[in-house]
Amino acid sequence: MKTPEPRPGAAQQSSSPGDERAVHGIWSGTISFSLVAIPVQLVKAVEPGRVSFRLLHDKDYSPLVRRMFCPREGALVPPEEIIRGFEIGPGKYLAVTDEELESVSPERSRTIEIVDFIDLEEVAPVYFDHPYYLIPAKGGEKAYGLLAEVMSRTSKAGLAKFVLHEREYPVLLKSTAGALALITLHYHDEILGAEDILPPEAEVDEEEKRRIKTSIKNLLADFDPRKYADARRQRIIDLLKKKAKEQGEVEAPAVAEEGGEGPADLIAALEESMRRVKQQ
Amino acid sequence: MAGRAIWKGAVHFGDLEVPVKLHTAVKENRIQFHLLHQPDGVKLQQQMVCAYEKTPVPAAEQTKGFELEEGRFILVDPEELEETEPQSSRLIEVHEFVKTVQIDPIFLERLYYLEPDASPKGYNALAAALEELDAAGVCTWTMRKRSYLGALQARGKLLRLNTLRYADEVIPVTSLGLRKFSLSDKELKIGGDLINQLTVSFEPQKFANEHLAKLQGLLEKKARGEKIALLRPRRLPPTAPDQLLKALEASLKQVA
Repeated sequence: MKTPEPRPGAAQQSSSPGDERAVHGIWSGTISFSLVAIPVQLVKAVEPGRVSFRLLHDKDYSPLVRRMFCPREGALVPPEEIIRGFEIGPGKYLAVTDEELESVSPERSRTIEIVDFIDLEEVAPVYFDHPYYLIPAKGGEKAYGLLAEVMSRTSKAGLAKFVLHEREYPVLLKSTAGALALITLHYHDEILGAEDILPPEAEVDEEEKRRIKTSIKNLLADFDPRKYADARRQRIIDLLKKKAKEQGEVEAPAVAEEGGEGPADLIAALEESMRRVKQQ
Repeated sequence: MAGRAIWKGAVHFGDLEVPVKLHTAVKENRIQFHLLHQPDGVKLQQQMVCAYEKTPVPAAEQTKGFELEEGRFILVDPEELEETEPQSSRLIEVHEFVKTVQIDPIFLERLYYLEPDASPKGYNALAAALEELDAAGVCTWTMRKRSYLGALQARGKLLRLNTLRYADEVIPVTSLGLRKFSLSDKELKIGGDLINQLTVSFEPQKFANEHLAKLQGLLEKKARGEKIALLRPRRLPPTAPDQLLKALEASLKQVA
């Protein structure tokens, strides 16, 4: 496996493409519609605002890292020895490689092919799952700009499917402030019916409805989510400030980077020695 | 059928109070994979490992810290953190109403269906009023020790509640560093014509998960010990900026 960190489809992880938490793209490929192809990268559009804590070892305050452990050998397993498996019976697994997964839908693994455009307002909010942004890769900037501008002017959105690891995502591409947003959708059959919880009497009290409509109109405003902040987050930040003042901070022992020296340093060292040889 | 009820509360604004139960609205259908150790196919477990000693650390020796910068932490007691939890309440407090079209889907997080938890008189009237005005109530509530922001909407006779992301959780487009490219009127015109030609009405029931069945097929084949033919994904060559107009014109010709 190439990436040691939790990834879409890894067991116990919710498998949305954002789980990789990469600074650079989560995925790279091409958007296509008709005869136009735009190279892009998929990046995250939202970041959970929860103040996040790290787990530490209480002995030395070293941060803890998540690693995979083999119960049979009683030892930690390096990332290159981790494979994906499908359970075919109790304790029996079928190993499946990334290449095999890509073979299931190769045409959708690197291409977001917009098959249809739709009027954005036709999509009920229930279908939306998780948002991302697409950013143009080198050479794709102009066609990207065109697609964003034209979808914005026409209030249209593009529909496509794409495959990341073991999952296929129906997606909607829309324009947002000059950028392209990609929002994964739920499949229609994943949306549950509500017939069983609807009110037993369907009758609407007209008088009551009129009264409610009046109060709604009185409270009508423009949507501005900036007005609302997570009160708990502020309380945690206040607590942290107080603790920083009262008890100070702790320091973890320094740890050498895993994987040792990178090749860049090696090349720099070689070049440096070459230079010295030449000078002599 | 709706998912099970997960919470009970009451929608509140002005002198209106509508008791409701929250139900989950989405159930994902997917194939679950596990992580295995390659040499022997043993299912792996996750463990928290000390970055310094490189050994697994049992839960009793774990503590929580907020990282100020690399390697420097403020320690926090679980009891103190608990004190920051919002006060529990059963009210879904509606602060204001907005036109539903104003809510950018980027803010939508998770959907719940609301079931009336008492006489449906208030419920029915509220659903009808919201539907007729095409309005959504911006509301806050506390559920399972977390404060939520949400949009209360109606669809037919049903009330639905969508949790919303807080504004500072959405990454602004300006941080993407996009450069503006000048587009000619002709490119915009033909691009618009092409998209209009390709527009259909949204029919989500037609959008099936074909991949799931294919993946199941692959797994069955593997389970029978058959060999899998590996197919490589192809990358399409990008449309060069000076070829864009030509590509748009050719596309339009093709679909018109």
